[in-house]
Amino acid sequence: MNLLLRCTACCMALLLMAASPGLRAATPDDQLIVGMNMNNLLTLDPAAMTGNEVVGIVVNLYDGLVELDPRQLTHVRPALAERWEISPDNRQLTFHLRDNVTFHSGNPLSSEDVVWSMRRVLHLNLAQASVWKSYGFSKDNVDQMITAPDARTVVLRLPKANDPLLVLYSLAALGSMVVLDSKTVQAHASNGDWGNRWLTTHEAGSGPFRLDVWQAKDVLRMNRDPDYWRGAPKLSRVVFRHLQESQTLRLMMEKGDIDIASNMAIPDVKALRHDPDLTVDAVPKGTIYYLAMSMKDKHFASAKVREAVRYLVDYQGINKSLMAGYGELHQRPIQAGMPATLPDPGYKLDIPRAKALLAEAGYPNGFDTTLRVLADQPFLNIAIAIQSTLMQGGIRAKIVTGTGNQIYGAMRERQFNLLVGRGGSGVEPHPHSSLRSLVYNPNNADSARLTNFQGWRTGFYDAQLNQMIDQALLERDSVRQQQDYFAIQRRYDQLIPALMPISQMVDSVVVNNRVQDYIPHPSATTFLRDVWKTPDSLAGGTP
Amino acid sequence: MKLTRSHWRRIRSRGWQVLITLMGLLLLTFFIGRVMPLDPVLAIVGPDADHATYQQVYHQLGFDKPLWVQFAIYLNGLLHGNLGMALLTGQPVINDILRVFPATVELATLAIVIGTGLGVPLGVWAAARRNGVVDYVVRIISLAGYSTPIFWVGMVGLLLFYAHLGWVGGAGRVDFSLDGLVPRRTGLLLVDALLAGNGSVFASALNHLILPASLLGFHSLAYISRMTRSFMLAQLTQEFILTARVKGLTEWQVIWQHAFRNILVQLLTVVALAYGSLLEGAVLIETVFSWPGFGSYLTGSLMLGDMNAVMGCVLVVGLIFVLLNLISDLLYQVFDPRTKV
Repeated sequence: MNLLLRCTACCMALLLMAASPGLRAATPDDQLIVGMNMNNLLTLDPAAMTGNEVVGIVVNLYDGLVELDPRQLTHVRPALAERWEISPDNRQLTFHLRDNVTFHSGNPLSSEDVVWSMRRVLHLNLAQASVWKSYGFSKDNVDQMITAPDARTVVLRLPKANDPLLVLYSLAALGSMVVLDSKTVQAHASNGDWGNRWLTTHEAGSGPFRLDVWQAKDVLRMNRDPDYWRGAPKLSRVVFRHLQESQTLRLMMEKGDIDIASNMAIPDVKALRHDPDLTVDAVPKGTIYYLAMSMKDKHFASAKVREAVRYLVDYQGINKSLMAGYGELHQRPIQAGMPATLPDPGYKLDIPRAKALLAEAGYPNGFDTTLRVLADQPFLNIAIAIQSTLMQGGIRAKIVTGTGNQIYGAMRERQFNLLVGRGGSGVEPHPHSSLRSLVYNPNNADSARLTNFQGWRTGFYDAQLNQMIDQALLERDSVRQQQDYFAIQRRYDQLIPALMPISQMVDSVVVNNRVQDYIPHPSATTFLRDVWKTPDSLAGGTP
Repeated sequence: MKLTRSHWRRIRSRGWQVLITLMGLLLLTFFIGRVMPLDPVLAIVGPDADHATYQQVYHQLGFDKPLWVQFAIYLNGLLHGNLGMALLTGQPVINDILRVFPATVELATLAIVIGTGLGVPLGVWAAARRNGVVDYVVRIISLAGYSTPIFWVGMVGLLLFYAHLGWVGGAGRVDFSLDGLVPRRTGLLLVDALLAGNGSVFASALNHLILPASLLGFHSLAYISRMTRSFMLAQLTQEFILTARVKGLTEWQVIWQHAFRNILVQLLTVVALAYGSLLEGAVLIETVFSWPGFGSYLTGSLMLGDMNAVMGCVLVVGLIFVLLNLISDLLYQVFDPRTKV
């Protein structure tokens, strides 16, 4: 009994000790703690990754040939390549690598590694191959098109005519063509998988941080590489934590237990806006919120009906009341902020005009249809707003909600009527990036199955528009190229497209004021190598 | 104690039952998983991948084979001790389960200790003071623990004890800055911290464990105290209790030495079942507290349509229940001679 009593006393003392607030410390000065939802983080393999979250991690473990300046997106900065040349015929890019770069394994980085890494993307043919295939690269030609004439030079020949600037942007912004330590990866390859399985949870890079551990839907930790060729990063460790509940994230942000929170629910972001210790960064993204109609549906095949729908959306109301923190009013297929983007055409909700158009189309009493949407915000709110204005025009849309697979899956099968979604890669600061994803449709046949083109998914096809897009990409005179993109947007507008842009995406990131030199990158390639924190003792406010 | 031949016979027949149950469970899960409107291929290749990539992965995962063939392949793997690969992590399912399970064991064990440690005395006390103030209070506590949504309680608990009072740590198993400082040996963070002799990680881990475990414990306390109370009531109306009282034994002796001893075996089953459902993964609490355990893993796999992982989890849950049932059944026989065949 005496022993039992003593044990109980010990336990109580221990509990009290653990429960005392004194033991809780703010995050250490040399560690960055990032809270985010890691549901979409399935692999760290640069060739197989999907989604923005993983890009932000991969670019800190690996280096690319070039980088985009987060403050001036069209400015391409040297990274592994000190300099590069573009051939006069615009078909060849030659990169000259810097000396004395070593991988985390200690192996020296050579042009062979660069070439091998690029070939790997095409041979694996996983998620990241898509863009490169659209540039004409394939498993069969990549060995001839990307070569290493010597240990410091990489030559990239374009299989088909393209704007070399766009290719350069893709190299910098996608994170898919980062350079892997080919020897280390090959040592872990099995069954001809190019090391894919091993790279799911490991890295073989030369970046500023080395992967310590990654456990899916739990934690990812990386430690600084003291021998990094640009100089050791200021932070000794970065910890990414999976926090699924936005409210938990908010509490931990308020308490100072995490330094950066991303993909939080907007109501929680709004609540944190008033905290003097925190800053909310609105990061513009290239993707666009849209209302899509399927031209396989007889109603929406009619241009009059599509035009009626154009006037049955309250663009201003939606952006003002539903999109704060998510996006900003935008009605063009090319992302906002580019010199080539035309001002918005100024569409507004106009019910009498829509009704007249519907009557002309032969639907004076409207019709019934369905509106597919993700069961997430802000998609659901946009859909509800659109449903009510469509109803005023006589179009009775039943809302069908579901997960990403269910909603975008139906779109990929071209089996939907109306759909509220978000798309248009827009990671490269080039008008073609958005057009390729949202407008371009080189073959409208069902059998073509161009599921990566949202133009195909909606069944919107115009031969002339395709040709104009192809041509604008090849135009070498930048002023004329800009004029070409103006013309494309005007024609797109006249054709009354099946995909109507509503809002340009904005991403909200909450950052503790102790964190310095953290510049969230619009193409998700946020570099952490220069980030540092003011010492805890200097921070005011939060205990 | 010694296992007799009848015990062994019983174990053998239970073994067959277990096999058939698990088989049925797997079959059902497999086919439900395949008809669910989830597309793991799309999750892997991402929304922007082209058709060729989609087809390639579809083929790699064997989804182009007939369902029966896929199931047969799975069973064949299972017979060789291979639960398949998880899409979510790219790792063998068995490794994943071994990795996440200790986190849940730690949480569930402390929870069941709290739940039993408080629930049993409360139940006994309530029965002894039937229809008195104590009984009502215990019944209200039990009702509250049983009927309040654990998700909501978790959120309120965090708000009060973490955000407002600052008594306990927030989400996760340890302060994030202390994450990964002790080498993983058992996967039980408290034990690992002790083995590594790292006091601050131990304190932080305990600090993070105490709130979710208490909330879960409160939840199982409700069930345990209610069952204890009803078992005790049944005993206290028996004649031998009256005899004991007539003999002049103290109330303490009557309750604890006579009545309580008789319900021990029944209580074992109750506690085992409560522990089983805690091990199965307190999904909602694990979500609120970002607890990287079995429940989080199972829900993540379900959301993705990662059937290998889901089937692996189902198998583990099935086994846990079967084993707990078996153990409590055997203990019954050992402690209570009347149940001997």
